[in-house]
Amino acid sequence: MRRIIAEDPEWSLAVVPQLTNLCLQHIVKNFEEKPILDELLPSHKAQVLEKLSTSLPLSITANLVSQESYWKRCCEERWGLCDVLPYGDSWKRMFFERHLENIIELFIPDLIDPKTVLDMVPLCKNYVKRLIISQLLPPIREPQKLEEDDGSDTASDMGYNGPSMDHFDFRILLDKLTNLEEFHVMYRVKGCGMNFEWNLFEFTLRDCESLAKALQSCKTLKVLKIQQSKVDDAKCRVLVNYLLEHPSLQELDLSHNIIGDRGARAIGKLLNKSALKTLSVYDNQIQGPGAQAIAHALTKNTTLLSLNLRLNRIGDEGGQALAQALLKNETLVYLHVGANEMTEPTATAVSQALVMNTRLKSINLSCNKLGVDGGKVLEEGMSHNTTLVECDIRLTDTNQVSEFCIAQFLLNNKSKAHLK
Amino acid sequence: MRKAGNSYEAQGAANSDSAAERITARRLRIGTRNEAKKRQELGQECPKVVEEEVRKSQVQVEQSERRMTKLQTNGTELVTNILVATDARESQRRKELEEARRLRLEKLENEGKSSYEKFQEINEKWTIAKTKELPQDLRDAQSSQQQLCAQLIADKNQLINELQQELKAFDERYVKDLKKQAEDVDLMIARMEDQVRTLIKSYRQELDQIENSFEDEQEALLMEKKENWEQQTKQRRDKEMELLLQRIKQVEEYGDLLQKLRAEDAEEFNIIKIKLETEVEDREQRLQQEKAIHQLNQEKLDYNYQMLKNSDEEKTIIMSVQKRKITRMQDALNNLKGKCANQVKQSREENQSLTEDYKRNMQQYKRVEKKMKHFAAVNAKRFEDVWLMNEEEVKALVRKVLEVDRLIHEQQLGLTWVPPPMPFMEQSGPTVTQHPAQTSARQAAAKALQADEQEDKAEQDVVESSGGLERKGAGVDGKTVKQVLELLCDETGFLIEDKLLKLLSPVEKDEQSLMKLDSVFSAIGIENEEDVYKMTDFFMKYKQKLKEQEEVTLTLSGGGSSDLIHPNDVLVALRAFTAQHCRSRKGQSQQQHSGLSLEGRDEAEDAKYWESLANIIPESKLKLWAALEAALNMYHSELMARSKLLEETKNLKQQNTEIKMLLYQHYIPKVHAEVEVPQMVHFAHK
Repeated sequence: MRRIIAEDPEWSLAVVPQLTNLCLQHIVKNFEEKPILDELLPSHKAQVLEKLSTSLPLSITANLVSQESYWKRCCEERWGLCDVLPYGDSWKRMFFERHLENIIELFIPDLIDPKTVLDMVPLCKNYVKRLIISQLLPPIREPQKLEEDDGSDTASDMGYNGPSMDHFDFRILLDKLTNLEEFHVMYRVKGCGMNFEWNLFEFTLRDCESLAKALQSCKTLKVLKIQQSKVDDAKCRVLVNYLLEHPSLQELDLSHNIIGDRGARAIGKLLNKSALKTLSVYDNQIQGPGAQAIAHALTKNTTLLSLNLRLNRIGDEGGQALAQALLKNETLVYLHVGANEMTEPTATAVSQALVMNTRLKSINLSCNKLGVDGGKVLEEGMSHNTTLVECDIRLTDTNQVSEFCIAQFLLNNKSKAHLK
Repeated sequence: MRKAGNSYEAQGAANSDSAAERITARRLRIGTRNEAKKRQELGQECPKVVEEEVRKSQVQVEQSERRMTKLQTNGTELVTNILVATDARESQRRKELEEARRLRLEKLENEGKSSYEKFQEINEKWTIAKTKELPQDLRDAQSSQQQLCAQLIADKNQLINELQQELKAFDERYVKDLKKQAEDVDLMIARMEDQVRTLIKSYRQELDQIENSFEDEQEALLMEKKENWEQQTKQRRDKEMELLLQRIKQVEEYGDLLQKLRAEDAEEFNIIKIKLETEVEDREQRLQQEKAIHQLNQEKLDYNYQMLKNSDEEKTIIMSVQKRKITRMQDALNNLKGKCANQVKQSREENQSLTEDYKRNMQQYKRVEKKMKHFAAVNAKRFEDVWLMNEEEVKALVRKVLEVDRLIHEQQLGLTWVPPPMPFMEQSGPTVTQHPAQTSARQAAAKALQADEQEDKAEQDVVESSGGLERKGAGVDGKTVKQVLELLCDETGFLIEDKLLKLLSPVEKDEQSLMKLDSVFSAIGIENEEDVYKMTDFFMKYKQKLKEQEEVTLTLSGGGSSDLIHPNDVLVALRAFTAQHCRSRKGQSQQQHSGLSLEGRDEAEDAKYWESLANIIPESKLKLWAALEAALNMYHSELMARSKLLEETKNLKQQNTEIKMLLYQHYIPKVHAEVEVPQMVHFAHK
């Protein structure tokens, strides 16, 4: 008997890898030496991108790869689950912004060469629109301590009385980022735990000056937030001085600082010398005179839409001044003066302003001791107003009846606005 | 959610909720009321239903939206409540802190002040102690100082303790706050989650409701449309069926028709085929014939061709001859042309010289004419002078004769003398035929025109002038004359020069027409009044002639035109008139011309005139005179003789005296002069 032996029943053409696949694999393998991407067919390009290593040096990929899928992989590999929405649905932007933020946040002056930051600039300057710096490390005095760990460890061992406590100098960076629109910075150290030292949270005058100059050089900036950085009057004045006549700045946030009346006066000056639309200075130490200065600026201002003075101590003096400014101002839409130690006279002034003003849509008076009479006066003022849709008077010791009436008026106004 | 919220929060929410519901209910009611009103007004049903349906879903959407916004605001309020509370607490804490700090500062200040006082005291005591010399005292003072210092230190320590305790308390409080805040954050997160959950749930519900409403609406709509669809499909099916039946019927009809037509066509085809075949045969026959004729013709043509060729050759010969001839002729022609040109030149020159001659002759002629006129005038004058002279002589003679006659009669014959009739004696100068002075045509026309004008105001004048006119115009009315003239004026504008018209434009109408007429008259050749009347008369006659010719046509025309000639005929009539007039005028002018010359004078009359002058003494008287002459002659002769005798006597007497004188002179020359004188006188008496 003869036996017929099948050559290979499993064999099929599909098993043999195609030459194109081999080539693509090779390209992927040698991408670092010879990056070939744009010359490929679209389908092949997708295959290559799928297989490209995320650990490739950025100097190769930054300006070559524009496909989101690759950058998505990079982001997810590095930071796990991410939300791409705040970054304008751009994974690449997200990657570079967060990458740059990481570099700056872990930058230790005098120890790490500023070149490491500057090297990144040509790679990421086209993609970075926003920088959120949530910590800045101070320089280290004792070099014998370990510094390759994260900032909290190094900071903890820092000397007390170093002559220079200056942080990263933004002057070398900001004028090179041509697309930067939003800049948040906090001069503090995150997660220091039990290694807490007061001088970890130091914002020196020289820091302030260099930051201000850097901000002045960045002409595309729209949003600036300097929070929790111990900005006092002098620093605030320096900042404002450099921000006067800034061509594009629209939003300024100096919350959680220790700005007093002189700083507030400087901010008032800034209000009419720039195109600010939003100003937030909540949780500071602004008192009556500072609020009066801001109110005076408001009477002449035509750009500001939103003003937040929460958690200051402007008192009746400032409250009345603001209410009188509302009589003349025709642009402000949102005003927050919660928790400001205001009492009944302010309520009277605000109610008068409500009768006259037709622009204001939201006002927050919560946590002020307006009292029962203040509530009644407010209620009367509201009865003549047709534009206000939000009025927060919680925890103001007012009568429930007037509170309810005000809510009714607000509802009416809201339905009117809705019908329009 | 409402359960989860604070008590007063919940109450507010419930209140506002109910209020909102009330508002929506009211709105709905108003909407339905308006709807009902509209329905009543319009009485339409279909659009109303649609509207209502749409409204249902819309209302649902609106309601859901409102409910959701309320839910959301309530939820956010709930969440932010924590924030607000924290804010309040924070501000409270700050206030407290400030207060505490103030107290602390005060306390510290007080403490500092009191300790400073104590320190001063101690210092003072040191100076006192220095003055003390006793060791006992010094020791006492030292111990007291020591005590005082200890007290001061104790005070300070106490303060430090207090402050440290405060710090501890704050530390604790900080920890507490931290905890509290952590709790708050937890609560906030919990509330947020709660809200998210409730929101999701309610959103889902609302979505379901909206979807349901939409589905209901859709279903209703679908049903309606379906019904509609079915109805229409049914209609369509019926129609299709009907059309199909019709079509089948038509197909059958057309099949029959086709069959019939086919049969007919086949028959026709056969007939035509036969006809065509016969025709083909005919044609073939004819073709044969034609071919024969063709051959014949070809032969003929060949012959003709030969002939023509010959003739052609001949012709070419002739042609060459002719050509030569033509060239010769051409030469001759050129010569002749040259000659002709010369001739023309010559003739032109001649012509020029002749015209010059002519001009010269004309000038001569004119000069001669002028001379002639001059001489004629001179002749006439001379003639008249001679005439007058002769007449005078004759008259003198006659008068003499008559005187003589009278003398003869009175003295010789002793008869009374009767002078013969002598009419011519009063006459002097040559006898001239005197033509009446004729008024010119223009004056006549003017008169005619004016006559009409003045007709109304002064009838007498009209009578007079018309009478005068009638005298010569042979009964032609002045009015008609005027009409004729006006006609002429209107119709014969072509005879007037353009320049004249231009010049006349500013002048008055009457004057204008007058001037026009003048020029027209001069053009036609009418010179005097008589001609004008002749013309009018001619026109009248012409009209009558026409009338007789075309009585019927003219009677039809109006009364105004019946008096006069029709404007259209004026030209014809005028031409006829001018033709006639010119003829007569020519004759007249010739007569006049001859009358003007001297030869043409009335010699017979002259002769008679002179005869009468000559015959002033009649024959009988001559005879008498002859007899008387004879007698007188005799008497004369007698008288002559006597006179002769007398003369002789006279002579003798003279001689006598002469002699006496001589004698006297001779004899008495000295003395006797007196003797002589008487002798002389005696002689003279003798």
